[in-house]
Amino acid sequence: MHFIKKNITKDGDGYVTLRPEIPEDMWHSYNIIRPLDKLRTDALRRVTIGDEATGSTSSKRVHTILTLIIEKIDFDPSSSQLHLSGRTCEENAYVTLGQYHTLDLELHRNFTLYKSSWDSVALEELRKACTPGEGAEIAAITLHEGLATICAVGEHITVLKQRIEMAIPKKRGANTEAHDKGMQKFYAAITAAFLRLFDIEKLKVVLFGSPGYLAQRLREYIFMNATKMGDKTMLKAKGKFICEHTSSGHKFALNEMLASPTVKARLQDTRFAKETAAVERFMEMITTDELRAWYGKGPVERAVEKGAVATLLVNDSIYRSNDPAERKKWVEAKEEVEKYGGEVLVLSSIHESGVRLAQIGGIAAMLSFPLDDLEGEGDADEEVWE
Amino acid sequence: MGRNDYDDDDYYDEEEEEQREMTAEERAQMKSGLKATRDVLGTVPGLTDAEIEESLYYYYFDVEKTINYLLNKYAKSMPKKPKPAAAPAPKAKASTYSSGYFAGFFADTPWGGVPEDRLSKMIPPTVLPGSTGLLGGSSKLAELARKRKEAAAAKAAAAEAAAATEPQAQKASVSLLSKLSQKKSPKSEEPRMLKSVSPPATSPPTASPACPASPALPVTTPPRTAGPVQPVAIPVVPVAIPSAPGKEPRTKEDLDQPTLDTKPKSAALSPPQSPMELELPFSTPPAPNSFFASTFFGGRIALEPPNDVADGFKLFAAAAEKTKGFKGPSPDDTVQQAQSGSKGLNKGAPAAAKSPDADVKKIEKDVDTMRIDTAPAKDQKDKIDVLKAWKESTEKQVVNFVVVGHVDAGKSTLMGRLLYDTGAVAERTLQKFRKESEQIGKGSFALAWVMDSTDEERERGVTIDIATSHFSTPKTHFTILDAPGHADFIPNMIAGASQADFAVLVIDSSPNAFEAGFHRQGQTKEHTLLLRSLGVKKLVVAVNKLDVTNWSQDRYLEILQQVEQFTLNAGYRRENITFVPLAGLSGINVIHPLGPDAAALTAWYSGPTLLEALETATSTGEADRAVDKPLRLILTDVFRGSIQNPVSVSGRIDSGHLQAGDEILCIPSKQLATIKSLSINETPAQWAVAGHNVVLNLANIDPIHLRVGDVVCDKNWPLEPKERLTMKLLAFETLLPMSVDVHKGRLHAPGEVKVLLETVEKGTGVVSKIRPRVVKAGELARVGVMVQVEHGVPIETGDKVVLRSRGVTVAAGVVE
Repeated sequence: MHFIKKNITKDGDGYVTLRPEIPEDMWHSYNIIRPLDKLRTDALRRVTIGDEATGSTSSKRVHTILTLIIEKIDFDPSSSQLHLSGRTCEENAYVTLGQYHTLDLELHRNFTLYKSSWDSVALEELRKACTPGEGAEIAAITLHEGLATICAVGEHITVLKQRIEMAIPKKRGANTEAHDKGMQKFYAAITAAFLRLFDIEKLKVVLFGSPGYLAQRLREYIFMNATKMGDKTMLKAKGKFICEHTSSGHKFALNEMLASPTVKARLQDTRFAKETAAVERFMEMITTDELRAWYGKGPVERAVEKGAVATLLVNDSIYRSNDPAERKKWVEAKEEVEKYGGEVLVLSSIHESGVRLAQIGGIAAMLSFPLDDLEGEGDADEEVWE
Repeated sequence: MGRNDYDDDDYYDEEEEEQREMTAEERAQMKSGLKATRDVLGTVPGLTDAEIEESLYYYYFDVEKTINYLLNKYAKSMPKKPKPAAAPAPKAKASTYSSGYFAGFFADTPWGGVPEDRLSKMIPPTVLPGSTGLLGGSSKLAELARKRKEAAAAKAAAAEAAAATEPQAQKASVSLLSKLSQKKSPKSEEPRMLKSVSPPATSPPTASPACPASPALPVTTPPRTAGPVQPVAIPVVPVAIPSAPGKEPRTKEDLDQPTLDTKPKSAALSPPQSPMELELPFSTPPAPNSFFASTFFGGRIALEPPNDVADGFKLFAAAAEKTKGFKGPSPDDTVQQAQSGSKGLNKGAPAAAKSPDADVKKIEKDVDTMRIDTAPAKDQKDKIDVLKAWKESTEKQVVNFVVVGHVDAGKSTLMGRLLYDTGAVAERTLQKFRKESEQIGKGSFALAWVMDSTDEERERGVTIDIATSHFSTPKTHFTILDAPGHADFIPNMIAGASQADFAVLVIDSSPNAFEAGFHRQGQTKEHTLLLRSLGVKKLVVAVNKLDVTNWSQDRYLEILQQVEQFTLNAGYRRENITFVPLAGLSGINVIHPLGPDAAALTAWYSGPTLLEALETATSTGEADRAVDKPLRLILTDVFRGSIQNPVSVSGRIDSGHLQAGDEILCIPSKQLATIKSLSINETPAQWAVAGHNVVLNLANIDPIHLRVGDVVCDKNWPLEPKERLTMKLLAFETLLPMSVDVHKGRLHAPGEVKVLLETVEKGTGVVSKIRPRVVKAGELARVGVMVQVEHGVPIETGDKVVLRSRGVTVAAGVVE
C-alpha cells in the first residue's frame, strides 16, 4: 500500500490517504475500513437526466468524487476485490445527500479514509499494510491421488487458486495401464494449471506436499516437461521447488507443509510462518498442558482479566466484527495483554493457520500459569448443533 | 457360405471347401432339414432361413444338433421354446464324434521330430461293450455311414467303404494337424469346428463298418459336464499319433498339402477291429513332454490334468449307458448354467480354464455380452429372486479378508506366497518376477510383486494401494485385499478393511522389527484399532519371518503375549484370534504341512497352517451379512472395463443384493444407471449379494457421475447424502474442533469437527461432561462433524467412519 498522507489527532480522530498497489492491499483495506467510517474516492456513477419538457430520460456514466459513510464491506478473496457500499454524506452535482452508492476499490487509485477513532489495531494494520513487503508469493500445491489443491500463499493472504479433482482408475491385478495413464494425466493437469496460474520468476518458493511419493513425482514430471519444452525459466528455478510430506491433498494440509522444518527455515521471517508456528504451539500445549491452553471468547476473556495470558492469538475476523462494541472489547483485551508484557498475534483469517484458529472460536490464549476455572455459563451456546 | 468369418486356423480347409458345390443329395437333405428345424423352432425373431441352412450344413444336416445350436444362440430372445430334446428329430439318431476330442490328441505333440518314445504303434482300438462308433470319427462320416446302412446292406459295402473313406480321412487328419498349434480345441457343437472336417460333397457315399450299432450316443457329452473329469478334452493319446516310421520329421509343407497319400490312416480314424487288443493302448503310459513341446507350451502343458487315457475311455463306456441322448438340457446349457451360477473362479484349477470348453464358452459369453449390449435392460419378468437363489445356491462361500500390519512386515510377500502355493499364480509369472526383481536388486520382492503391480510400488518396494486377488480352496473362494503398511497410505488400508470379513495381521518377528511396528507410531497398533472400529471381529495373526530367529519359541511366545494383550484391550475376543508362526518368503507353514526344513518349528508347534487358520476364520463369514437390507455398495474403483463395457465400477456389496438388469441409483450424483452385466471375483454372474466383491458393467450413465467413494443403492431405498454428521466416537488422539479427513471405505472427504457435544463414560454410557472443550485420547464422545463437500457425502446412520488429521487417526466411530 502506498502511503500518501496522514492526519490523525492524539485522541484518534483523523484521516489517512492511501493508494493500493497490489491485490493484497485490498485485504488490508478490508481490515482497516469499518462500517461508519467515511471514505472519499473516485467513483463512476450512472446519472439520469430527465427532460422536463418531453418527459423522456437518458442516463450516462460520470466520473465523480464521492464521500460515503460505509455500511457494507465485502471481500472476494479469489479476485482480491473489495466491494463497499454506503450513503453519500457530501452533495455534489450528481448526487444528493444520503443517496446510496456501491463501489469497488481500485488498484492505483487513491482513497481517503476518515475515522472518528483510530484504535491500536487499526493503526497496527495500517503499519503492516504500508510496510513494503517483498510482494513475493509462494505457490503451494497439496495433492493426493485424484485431488490437488493449488494455492497462492502471500504474506497476508492465502488464496485457493484451483482445485483439481480427477478420477484415477485403481490398479487392477497385474493391469496397471489405466492407473499409470490416469496418473500421467493428473500430473499433466496440475502442471498446466500451475504454469497458467503463476509467474515462476516472481515466486519465492514452490511447495509440493503429498502423502507418499506423489510430490516428488510431480516435481519430476514438471521438470521433465520443462526439459522437453525447453522452458529455461523453469529449469533455472529448480532450487525454488521444495517437496514436503502432507497427509492429504486437501487445503488444510497446507498447515502441515508450512509447519515443516524445511519450509520454516526457508521462510523464517514471513508472517504466516510465525502464525503457523504459534497455532502449532497452542495445539501442542492443549494436548500436553491442558490447563495452560484455552480457547473461545469466554475463557480467554476471563484469562485476560486474571492477567494470565502469555500469548494471545486473535483472528483478524474478530476485529472485523460489525458490532463496534465487540471490536472495542477485543481491542482493549489486546492492549491489556500487551500492557502486562504478553505477546499478541493477530492472525490473518485467510491463512490456513487463521482458518485453524477460527475453528476453535477465532481466539486462543496460552497462559503463563495453569488455570482451571475459566469455563463459564453460556460459553457452549456459541455453537448450535442439533 | 459365410464360413470364413471364423478363425484362420482352418484356413487350409476353407480353400478347398469353397470350390465345392452342394450335391443334389445334400440339397434335398438341406430342404428337409430346414423344414424340420422350422417346424420345431417356429418363428424366432432374428432367425433367418439362411442361418438355419448354414447351421444345418455345419452339422451335416443333423437337425437335432442344429436346433440345439440355434436354441442356444437364440436362447435369450425366446426363453420359452421347447428344449431341443423335445424336438421331433427325423434323422436324429446319428452318432457324432467330437472333433475337439480329435484335435486334443495332438495337443502336446511337437511339430517335427516326434521323439522315438512317442511314436507308438498304430493299434486299432476295439469297440467297448455297449459303445460303438468310430474312435473319434467325424460326425459326417458317421452320418454317411448311417445313411449308407439304411440305404444298402452294410456288410456288403464294408470293404469298399473302408477304401473309400481313406481320402476323406486323410483330409480330415490334415486339417487337424494344421491345428496342432491350437491347443484349445472346441467341441463339436460349435459349427466352426466342424469346418476342419471336409464336407461330404466330393466323397462318394460310403458306409463305414465303424458304426454298425447304437447310433444315438452323445459321446461328446460327458467331458463337457464340467466336474473333475476333463481329460477327454485334452488327452495325449499315444494311439492317436500316426506313426510313420519312414516319413518323419514332418514339415509344415507336408502338413499343408492336401494329399498325404503315403501317410497311414490315423488310428483315430480307422475302424476298430480287434477287441483282443483292447488293453494295449491304455497300458502305455503317456510319454513325457518333449523338450520342444515344453519350449512351446511351457507351463501350460504342466497345467494340463493328468493324461489319463483310461479315463477317457471310461467316458465312452459311461456314454454308452446314457441312452437318453438329448432328452435333458443340452450339455451347453448345463455348462453355461453351472458357470453362470458359479461364484467361483477357475484359478484354483487352472487346467479347467484351459480346457477347450472354456474357450468355446468364452466365445459364447462374448456373444451374450454383445447381445445384452443392444438391449441393456432386461424385462422385469426375467428377474430372478436373488434371495431365493442365494439360499439355494450350493456354491462355495465367498470370503474377503484384508491383510494388514506394519510396513515391511511381509504382507505382500506372504500373500504372493499364498497365491503361488495355491496355484493361483503360475510358476512362469513368478519366474518372470524373480528375474525382473533381481535385475533391480530387489530379488526378495519377487513374491510381493504378485500384489504390487505398479512401477512405483515395485521400485520402492512398498505397497501403495490395495491389491485384490483371489484363490480358492475346496471349501471357499477367498478374496485377498492386500493393504499397504506405510503410514501414508492408511486411507487405502481403511478402504480395504471396510471390504473385509476378517483380517490377517502380519507381524514381523525379526529382532527389533516387531518392536518398531508395535510402538506408538507403528502401524501394527493403528491397523488393529482401525480394524476393530471398522467392525472387523476376527483376526488371524501371522507371526512372520520367524525363520530369522531360528524358529525361536521364546520369541513367538513373547510376541503372542504382547499382541494378545493389546488385541484384547482393543476389544477383540480371544476365541476370534488365531496365531500362526510362519515364514512367508520360504513358505513354511503357509499352506503346506510342516516339512523337514521346519524341524525347528515342528519341535514346538503343531497348530494350523495359515491356510487352515483362514478356513477356520471363515466359518461365520457369511452369517451376519445383511443380504435382505436395501442395496448399498461403496465404489472402490471406476474404470473402463472393455469396449463393450465403457463404464465399469467395482466394490463390495455392504448390504442387499443386485442382479443384471437392475436399475440402481448412484449417490451423491443421484443418477440412475442400469446394470448391464456383473461379475464376482472376475467370474460372470447373474446376481450377487452382500459380501461379494463385484464388478458392475453399467449402462445409461456417464462416468463423470461416478466417483470413488460414491454409493450405489436401491432406487427405492435411496441414501440421503449428509453434510452434518453427529458421531459417537472413540478418540485416539486429542480432539478439538478441527479440520479432519473423513474416511468411510474409499470415501475420503474433507471435514471439520464443529462441536464437541459431550463426553461419555466408558462402560456405563453416562454423559460425563457436556460441551467439553477438548476430548482426550481414549475418551468416548459425541461430536458434530461438518463435511466440506458441496452436496454432502453418502454416509448414513450406522456407518462406521474414521476421522484422521495430519496423517494420524484421531478418532473412529459410528454415525448417529
